[in-house]
Amino acid sequence: MKLFWFEIFKAFSRWRTYISFTVIALIVILTEVVMKLSAGEIVYRMLKPFQRDFLISGNILNAWFVTAFIMNSLHIHIPFLITLVAGDMVSSEATSGTIRFLLIRPPSRGRIITAKYLTALFYTGGLVLFFAGVCVIFGLPLFGSGDLIIHHYGKFDIAFIPESEIPLRILLAFIAAIWSMTVVASIAFLFSTLAENSIGPIIGTMAVVIVFLVLGNLPLDFFRTLKPYLFTTYMNLWQQFLSIPIPWPEIGRSAIILGLHNVSLFLIAFFVFRRKDIKS
Amino acid sequence: MKKILLCLALFLLSPQWAEAQEDASRYLDSIEKKYAQLKDYTAEVAVHFDIETFKAPDMQARLYYKAPGKMKVESKRVFFFPRDGGYLNPSQFKKEAFEVRFLERSADDGRKAVKLKLTPKKTKRDIQDFVLTIDTDRLLIREMEMTQFDGREIKVAIEYGKFYDFELPVHIQLKLDIPSFESEGVKEFDQLIQKPKRVTGTIEITYSNYKVNLGLSDEFFKESGSSRGR
Repeated sequence: MKLFWFEIFKAFSRWRTYISFTVIALIVILTEVVMKLSAGEIVYRMLKPFQRDFLISGNILNAWFVTAFIMNSLHIHIPFLITLVAGDMVSSEATSGTIRFLLIRPPSRGRIITAKYLTALFYTGGLVLFFAGVCVIFGLPLFGSGDLIIHHYGKFDIAFIPESEIPLRILLAFIAAIWSMTVVASIAFLFSTLAENSIGPIIGTMAVVIVFLVLGNLPLDFFRTLKPYLFTTYMNLWQQFLSIPIPWPEIGRSAIILGLHNVSLFLIAFFVFRRKDIKS
Repeated sequence: MKKILLCLALFLLSPQWAEAQEDASRYLDSIEKKYAQLKDYTAEVAVHFDIETFKAPDMQARLYYKAPGKMKVESKRVFFFPRDGGYLNPSQFKKEAFEVRFLERSADDGRKAVKLKLTPKKTKRDIQDFVLTIDTDRLLIREMEMTQFDGREIKVAIEYGKFYDFELPVHIQLKLDIPSFESEGVKEFDQLIQKPKRVTGTIEITYSNYKVNLGLSDEFFKESGSSRGR
């Protein structure tokens, strides 16, 4: 546990760690201000398929809608911010030449790598919770509360979540988002144990995420058969908490698959680190 | 050839046919006259959606109507209300605005009715035509079928109750059969290769707590913060 807090202290002593928090705060605040200024256009575009058939009233562009909108827009970009720190956890020790000093100390390699991995997960959780906090804390005074309308763009498809259910659903959605992002952190962490510098793990992880996302979304039969084997298929787990009804079996399945990815990736990293040659 | 033309002319000019066309417009006039004293009304509306792709709980709002054709809904929460056929607008079917064609007479449950086809003279919001079933004894629109150019079909069934001196809707059922995809804008690749699906379902609207001729001002319908009909 002491080792874990030591790693946390090390991670949060670096300026790089705060880049992600700053970027998220800037993006969210900027997006919310722009959305506030162009509220009419957003509501019009969002509800265009319905406005022909329905008169619509009420506060549709509320803080919950804005939170879901930003989350939907950023869930591909947040992995990059996660790799900045998770991809640096082990490789930075090699880059700065401290890995030998670290490994000749009493704690075993297993304990060190576990503490580093837990720190990467802690950072991932903290970043997503910070994202949630900024969205809601700035969103509520700007847009107010209300029922949440989840709409699939360009389709006559809507899910209407009553205001009373939203805080719990949003909380669960963010917990699910943390769970999804831990897989990205685990990949970056594994690459970090394999590399001697931080650029490789960051670029490598993003390449994996982007390639998997592209392959998973190509509307061709070959790629459709491949889709269940790509972890990115299950990364939109958080969106399931904003469905009606909540598809619990699907959520459970996705969570287990992502969890298995985490365990496998960590175990590989664990064994790679234990066998790491620090003499040469 | 001359004989055929003569027969056709005789058929078209036959008294029955002429009477039917005259009747057709007369029903619309009669309905408008029946509600001539209805200046405005407000009512509580409860809307229930039974559409697979429209997952919404029951919604409540207050509806305001002022002749000829101003409408507004007020709700504290998000509220969706059917734009066409969801409320009674006695000024909607002015005979001058439509080509009216008599279709048939019917008698369901002992009620005499006529079916008219109305084609707007000026195309408004892509509505191709209306088919109205009018209760000829009580001069009420019982059913309405709307067809739009993009293939949207909406069927409306209206039940009435007596409020003050007017017969006003207590229950309206709309059956929707509309295309799933937006007809304009950029489509995703999936949407281009798939055959457009259709959305079908029912909307039930229940009216209660009517108040009639309150003297609602035009300004009230211009206020923001709620949705207004066109």
